[in-house]
Amino acid sequence: MTRTAILIACGLVAGPIIGGLVSGMDRILTARMQSRIGPPVLQPFYDVVKLLFKEPLVVNVWQAFCAYCYIAAASISVVLFFLQSDLLLIFFVQAVGAVFLVVGALSSTSPFSQIGAHRELLQILSYEPLLVLVVVGFYLETGSFKVADIYAWQHPLLLKLPFLFIVLGYALTIKLRKSPFDLSTCHHAHQELVKGLLTDYSGPFLALTEIGHWFEVVLLLGVCTLFWATSWVGMAVLLAGTYFLEVLVDNTTSRMTWRWMLSYVWGVGLTLSIVNLIWLHQG
Amino acid sequence: MQAVKRFINRLRSKSPWLLHFDCGSCNGCDIEILACLTPLYDVERFGIIHVGNPLHADLLLTSGTVNHRNKKVLANLYSQMPNPKIVVAIGACGVSGGVFREAYNVVGGIDKVIPVDVYVPGCPPKPEAMIDGVVLGLQKLLGLNEQKEA
Amino acid sequence: MDIRAGLIAILVLAPFGGAILCAVLGASRVIRSSIVLATGAVLIASALWLIPLVPFRLPAESFLGLNLHTLIQAADVVLLLIILYYGLKHKHLVIVALAVLQLLLTSYLEFFMLKGPLPVERVFCDHLSLMMVLIISIVGSIICYQAIPYMENHEHHYHILKSRQPRFFFVMLLFLGGMNGLVLFNDLTFIYFFFEVTTLCSFLLIGHDRTAIATRNALRALWMNSVGGAAFIVGIIAAYHETGTLELQKILATSGAGSGVYLLALALLCLASFVKSAQFPFQSWLLGAMVAPTPVSALLHSSTMVKVGIYLVLRLAPGFNGTLLSDSVAVFGAFSFLAGAALAVGQSNGKKVLAYSTISNLGLIFACAGLNTAEAMIAAMLLLAFHAVVKAMLFLSVGAIEQHIASRDIEDMRGLYAVMPLTALITVSGVIMMIMPPFGVLLSKWMAMEAAARNLYVIVMVALGSALTVIYWARWAGTLMSDPFAGRFRPEHQPVLTWLALGPLCVGGGVMSVLAPWLYTRMIVPMLASPYTPAYMNKAGSLENVYGTFAVLPLSVVALLGLVVAVIALKRAFHAKIASPYLSGIQTGEPSMFLGPMNQPVKAEAKNYYLDTIFGEARLTDWVNLGGGILLTLILGGAL
Repeated sequence: MTRTAILIACGLVAGPIIGGLVSGMDRILTARMQSRIGPPVLQPFYDVVKLLFKEPLVVNVWQAFCAYCYIAAASISVVLFFLQSDLLLIFFVQAVGAVFLVVGALSSTSPFSQIGAHRELLQILSYEPLLVLVVVGFYLETGSFKVADIYAWQHPLLLKLPFLFIVLGYALTIKLRKSPFDLSTCHHAHQELVKGLLTDYSGPFLALTEIGHWFEVVLLLGVCTLFWATSWVGMAVLLAGTYFLEVLVDNTTSRMTWRWMLSYVWGVGLTLSIVNLIWLHQG
Repeated sequence: MQAVKRFINRLRSKSPWLLHFDCGSCNGCDIEILACLTPLYDVERFGIIHVGNPLHADLLLTSGTVNHRNKKVLANLYSQMPNPKIVVAIGACGVSGGVFREAYNVVGGIDKVIPVDVYVPGCPPKPEAMIDGVVLGLQKLLGLNEQKEA
Repeated sequence: MDIRAGLIAILVLAPFGGAILCAVLGASRVIRSSIVLATGAVLIASALWLIPLVPFRLPAESFLGLNLHTLIQAADVVLLLIILYYGLKHKHLVIVALAVLQLLLTSYLEFFMLKGPLPVERVFCDHLSLMMVLIISIVGSIICYQAIPYMENHEHHYHILKSRQPRFFFVMLLFLGGMNGLVLFNDLTFIYFFFEVTTLCSFLLIGHDRTAIATRNALRALWMNSVGGAAFIVGIIAAYHETGTLELQKILATSGAGSGVYLLALALLCLASFVKSAQFPFQSWLLGAMVAPTPVSALLHSSTMVKVGIYLVLRLAPGFNGTLLSDSVAVFGAFSFLAGAALAVGQSNGKKVLAYSTISNLGLIFACAGLNTAEAMIAAMLLLAFHAVVKAMLFLSVGAIEQHIASRDIEDMRGLYAVMPLTALITVSGVIMMIMPPFGVLLSKWMAMEAAARNLYVIVMVALGSALTVIYWARWAGTLMSDPFAGRFRPEHQPVLTWLALGPLCVGGGVMSVLAPWLYTRMIVPMLASPYTPAYMNKAGSLENVYGTFAVLPLSVVALLGLVVAVIALKRAFHAKIASPYLSGIQTGEPSMFLGPMNQPVKAEAKNYYLDTIFGEARLTDWVNLGGGILLTLILGGAL
């Protein structure tokens, strides 16, 4: 019971802290790649605190409701991950948040918000099947959907699921809102539709969506660690390498269209997943 | 309580998000503002991010004299920014109307429409001067819990 | 008399009685409504009374002195003659041909094949039957209740002078009785008779409005369902030929044979089920049926009649466990799930979205039945129950919305919250119950995915389909709430019976979801005999097994807490400053207008992405029909 409580507390705290630090390092890395210095590593925390204490302004009161639902779902999914529960369930809980974010954006009549919301739906369409297939890959190799069992697996899963790791990379790129998939909304200097999905959120509600996003980042990085759960060094290398690649891809590619995203991610992603799954079936 | 407020204000001053609005400038100041946002001057060091929506902005950077057409827009944008907010008027035109002050369509300076916190004179001012002005404006955020006029 | 026999008789015959009373005395609105309310109450009470009594089997030889077998066969002939009459009346060659074919085959079965003893233990009521009876009686009655104000409005709106409501409720109640009959008997000829009853009722109800398009679509439903009926009777003949009995349970018990003709019989019965459940390539009748009044769509075409197909396949599943037939049914079901979801993405007509979503979910249940493992069967039964409740509620809400705004198009429902706040919220909660944990539909989808994970074809299609479902539901929910700013919540006025229908379905759906683990242990575990051993354990409100866990109760509690926090935030936001949305020009103070060119106010307009060029009906229908046809051929051919 107390162990559960500690894990829940860890999950709730780790999300914002790790997520914020990762976001800060992301910005510094991006800055260095662009030959500049960049903000301090704690900058995301400054941003979020500033936003939390701004005067609340809403375009539609339901945005407040949806922002809270989004962060609730994101945080619950991270807590479930820390509690080492069922990976497919964690995925579905995380999807709740994504839907509420879209509904909140659709509740504003601004065309920027609306188009951003539809692009977000297309992004969800692109990565959801792939995440499910990655989870299925874990199940086929270890015989269980539970995170506890996957962590207990004695061999590094990366060796058996290499293509599925690449597929997870695609899902991660979309979820992290990195080019070329940053269609619906994205980080600061890359804006297209004003702020797309998040255009009409402001102040405390924007802060909540940012913290929710951090939770999602922590969750996906957690899923990454499952691929080399046998050694801490391996995990660290995998995380660092993957994240570095994400930032590199973000800075070297430009935003594409949703048609390209859907056809490319589904085409390459499904092919890689199916090949890996067939390989697991035969093995 | 005071300590918490001071802490929050300190964090506010470390994360000013910037909205730029051109109130009829010749674009000389705007080009220099854009230069500020490039990697050469790297204002992201101060946490400054250029946003497109007044709902997200703390800092309104305005250039150009205001004219009778866009004064309503300027006021509208200012009202859409959530508190606390700072206004920085850039360039001689923004400060007082510059050389165009006497023209029939010119209102003559940003502070005729909205309250301005920092004036950055110049035609155009150098990017360093503008950054200096913005950082000066951030001081206002720090002093928010003390009695301040306007 | 045995109380169980009495309840069975009431469940099947009381609606017939109510129907006849409606037809005879139903001219007066008060009398008619009372009859419907009373029949519904009797059905609900009997269904609830039945709960502690299952499972049981009863002999049923005669009724009121007449031999039941002869009675049913005679009634069957009468029914087929009625269908023949309609076929002739509308000069529809296919219907005539199929009716004649079915008459010939039934006669062949009756006079040339049936030798030896007829089934005695005809009544078979286990937990699956009980689940169906509860859905039919409770959800069905609620839908009939909502139909009372709906049809009043409907006739008023279409300026129908001579009310046809007596006929409408006659058929609706008849249908309820027919459905109850279908799920409570063990004898294939009885099931076939009630199958035809539902076909006829569907035809009469789709064509209720007597417009050209209604008649056309009703005839289409009739001929397609007649194809199902023909397949059914051929299946019965084949099964009797192989096993020598008409009793379903005995037929399934001989599955050790596994020979070609036996499996072909099961495959033909499956084909009948697929037609009834509007799977591809037979989906067009269900889409066409959406022109009917919405209570018809809610009752027949989402909660009950289309569930006949899956009920039958779930019954048959133990019979084809472990065969190629089973695998092909699984792939077919998954294909339907994917295709239905894809077609729904391209639709802007609200009822058609609901129709495709229904087809999609039924496909998932078929896939589970085809997978034929314990987890899959549990998933199928849970999905059956939860889908019926939630889909009925969604159809009823769309019906209420449609009568208020005179349109079914989602684009016309933009910002509905401003006009009908409570109905919009109920619809959004319906959407939430369809796609989100911890609610039952998602619980069953989760279970289905975990059960399907070892079958590559199925899991890939289910993963793709599941992602597509998010799009059309989230899009709809967002469109309903797309109001420039939401002011004070003032619930709109609706007839009492409408709230009485929507409220219990909404609350019931939520409560049922929280109680899902106990639903599982009380209703589903007793049902699973060999070859399925109960897979999940109910651990303090979580459904858990060796490789997966779904914490229903803890998540529900946390979700409720989250809801409370979010509602508090919402209340506080009522006091926040309202900003105008970011439009494409100077704001005017009016939330959705901006100053455009020449300083003229322009109304901001937005439309949803329907991705017509990719997922449009015109684009995909031929391909999915082809795919469905190929898979069906695989099913029938592979059975041999």
